[in-house]
Amino acid sequence: MRKIANNPSLNLSQKLGLSQKQPSSSLLSRCLSRCLPLAVGAAYGLILLMTGLAFYGLIGFDQARLQPELLVDPYILQILGFSLEQSILSALFSVALALPIARALHFIPQLQASKPAFLSLCLLSFVMPTLVLITGLVTLLGRSGVITPLLPDDWNLYGLNGILIAHIYLNTPLAVRVLSQQMSHIPDSSWRLAQQLGLSRWQQFTHVEWPALKPSLLMLLGFIFVLCFNSFSVVLALGGGPGSTTLEVAIYQALKYDFNLSEALTLAWLQFTLAGLIFALIARMGKLNWLSADTASQRLQPRLSTLSEWIHQTLYGLAWVILLLPILALLPAVFDASIAKLNINSLISAAGYSLALGLIAALIAMTLAWLLLIPIRQASLKRQENRRIIYQWLATHSLVAPAMVLSAGLYILLLPRIDLDRWGMVWLILINSVLLLPFIIAQLKPRLLQFDQQYSRLSENLHLNFTQKIQVIWPFVRPITLGSFALALLLALGDVAVFSIFGDSHYTTLPWLIYGYAGSYRMAEAAVASLILLSLCALLVYLFERNTSAKNKRKSTHG
Amino acid sequence: MKTDLTRKNLTCRKVFIAIGLLFASLQVQAAKSELNIYTYDSFVSEWGPGPQLKNIFEAQCDCSLNFIAVEDGVSILNRARIEGKKTKADVLLGLDNALIETARQQALVQPHSIDVGHLSPSLNWQDDTFVPFDYGYFAFIYDSNKIKKPATSLAQLIHSDAQVIYQDPRTSTPGQGLMTWMKAVYGDQAASQWQTLASHTVTVTKGWWEAYSMFLEGGSDYVLSYTTSPAYHVIAEEKTHYKAALFDEGHVAQVEVAAISRYSDKKELANQFLAFLISPEAQSIIPVTNWMLPVIDNAELPAAFDQLIEPKTIGFSPEVLAEKRSAWLREWRQAASR
Repeated sequence: MRKIANNPSLNLSQKLGLSQKQPSSSLLSRCLSRCLPLAVGAAYGLILLMTGLAFYGLIGFDQARLQPELLVDPYILQILGFSLEQSILSALFSVALALPIARALHFIPQLQASKPAFLSLCLLSFVMPTLVLITGLVTLLGRSGVITPLLPDDWNLYGLNGILIAHIYLNTPLAVRVLSQQMSHIPDSSWRLAQQLGLSRWQQFTHVEWPALKPSLLMLLGFIFVLCFNSFSVVLALGGGPGSTTLEVAIYQALKYDFNLSEALTLAWLQFTLAGLIFALIARMGKLNWLSADTASQRLQPRLSTLSEWIHQTLYGLAWVILLLPILALLPAVFDASIAKLNINSLISAAGYSLALGLIAALIAMTLAWLLLIPIRQASLKRQENRRIIYQWLATHSLVAPAMVLSAGLYILLLPRIDLDRWGMVWLILINSVLLLPFIIAQLKPRLLQFDQQYSRLSENLHLNFTQKIQVIWPFVRPITLGSFALALLLALGDVAVFSIFGDSHYTTLPWLIYGYAGSYRMAEAAVASLILLSLCALLVYLFERNTSAKNKRKSTHG
Repeated sequence: MKTDLTRKNLTCRKVFIAIGLLFASLQVQAAKSELNIYTYDSFVSEWGPGPQLKNIFEAQCDCSLNFIAVEDGVSILNRARIEGKKTKADVLLGLDNALIETARQQALVQPHSIDVGHLSPSLNWQDDTFVPFDYGYFAFIYDSNKIKKPATSLAQLIHSDAQVIYQDPRTSTPGQGLMTWMKAVYGDQAASQWQTLASHTVTVTKGWWEAYSMFLEGGSDYVLSYTTSPAYHVIAEEKTHYKAALFDEGHVAQVEVAAISRYSDKKELANQFLAFLISPEAQSIIPVTNWMLPVIDNAELPAAFDQLIEPKTIGFSPEVLAEKRSAWLREWRQAASR
């Protein structure tokens, strides 16, 4: 990788030379490059069609109509206010806490040894199935929680408190990972210059760190805001009453017992519009700043002052404890379970189905993401800002489209037309793939745009064909591709919402099995299944992180 | 090129024929006699009544019983409603008295032709379409090791400072039960009582198990569940300290019912299944797997069922429930969110 960075033209022509020896591959690549625009069109068509059909499903059944009068209903206004309040607070707290932790990881040499482990834990926390997290939080902070005696007497986990804690727990790790990666991209030359200019530590922060981090901070704020604004399981579990509800939960409630499609539709449009606007705004702000693609070894890192280093280190230590606590809290319940009562076969097959479904969904999502990114990259290269934003919005719109509407709408539309008992799993996978897209694209996009900025002109000049382009780009994006694939797989593993609608009880997944146990008084078995699910996630995190970092190390020793 | 295409066409056709044959063979198998039953997930899970009932009934009927499970009772209704006349369902199993009227108004069901004379007289069952297969009273469960003097009335519970967890009436059956209970006891005064209850409510959960598991982990003094919950703890765990509080005002009952789908063309088999559901054999399985009460008097049950509290019944007819639900829900969400 470093080789490309240091001496791109040499490397490219070497690659070119290699490929020219294989004429068959150029035929293939010509075909591929001709099919590509078609595939891109099909990818956009597919994801837009799914959202379109979902809304059509809601509108088409029973003459549902928009009810503007709902927008002045005091209850709806109250939950709208609450949705905004909790998501703004969640985003601000998550990012504010992540910044010092990311800086601690970057600047304090003693922490370098534990850094990879901590970043893995961050990934695990971000993808932690909400069911597992909530059980952990209740054990710790619920009414008879372990930590509760230390808290004020009127402490209540349920309501804004619980929602914020869960959202911060899930999203701070994401922010830490993004920010710490971003910090490592600040080139040594910047620090050298700062030191030569004799900048104070504060000036270094405002002149070197801040400009490098600002776009990521804004993107993160927006991303986390939208995630929390559309939050479902956490709010459903920890909301504590009809007052602390998000629009997404209100849509579910309108659909569930009342089957009130008009109310669901109105709330869905409200949520879609608000989240969509905010997301579009962020897409505008979050321009990619020039950062060195791969910084060589970071020898010139400034140190923090003693006091500041102490504060940063304490926060870092606390973060370890806080991230681990809900996982440890699962253990006592596990010891309650009698092994004899456990159905090992159903646990194993559920784990197998979870993995298989997750893998397929993640693979489809990854393919779609690459296709969807092509026009975004082209627009970015040609500096067509509006075009880029429109494509980007379309590609990632499932982040703002209410997931509840996507699955419920498609269900209503398809149920009378297709045998869902036979084909439900296909739709389950498709819907999950579309819901994963925003996460993959958010990870892949910056890296691909960076590649384009640095090498696209060069590779144009060299008239590379399709296969050669892939050969050139692959080493550059390999780690982030594997990383985002792992993320997608992990997120897909935790799905319950889509499974509850499209799932097939013959292919029960682990999260669904947990609900099944818990739904029939078997809480200890549910705890065991939760622990297995979590271990599976941990194992995957470990495998992927080891894989990507090992390859990196080998590359850098060669370079 | 042309020959190539025809060859491709031929292969395509072969594949289609093969697929067609495959489906045809599936159809032949299915033609044996298949009864499709829509029900909820926990009914057919490995520890639910479904698997045992299926084995016994299939031995009697020379047919194949096909459970198609959705999330819960209301999802059965919604699914049948969305599918309309294209539904595969022969029997809808797992609706309850709060959903009966909607199912009837939507014309999703048809009258049965079985004899229900041996149902418990206490149920006073008159309906010619819906057959009850189990029932239960909603009740607040407490841990008698912790609470020595439990509340003896709904009023006492509401005006105490005991911590309570109940379920959201918009998403769960017990939640709707409590809503009905409040209306049956307080009528027009329910809103202010909801507010008083809200001041010492720990949380309102989406479904039954979220509430119940929080309670078991010590999350509250009382949790809304059924009078039968203590029987589970006695039979499956040999724990006797979980008890249901008996309230003076009376308790609201949930009656779970099954009915024949309006669009079923297997009426005879469906009737046979409904009759089986209320046979002594099925009625001794359902209570210890679905943890509800039997609908006939002579069902053989473990002794733990004799020790359950036996409350007075209050409540509303299915017609009133269907008519008032939206208004009651609005009242609750306004009152409880303040």
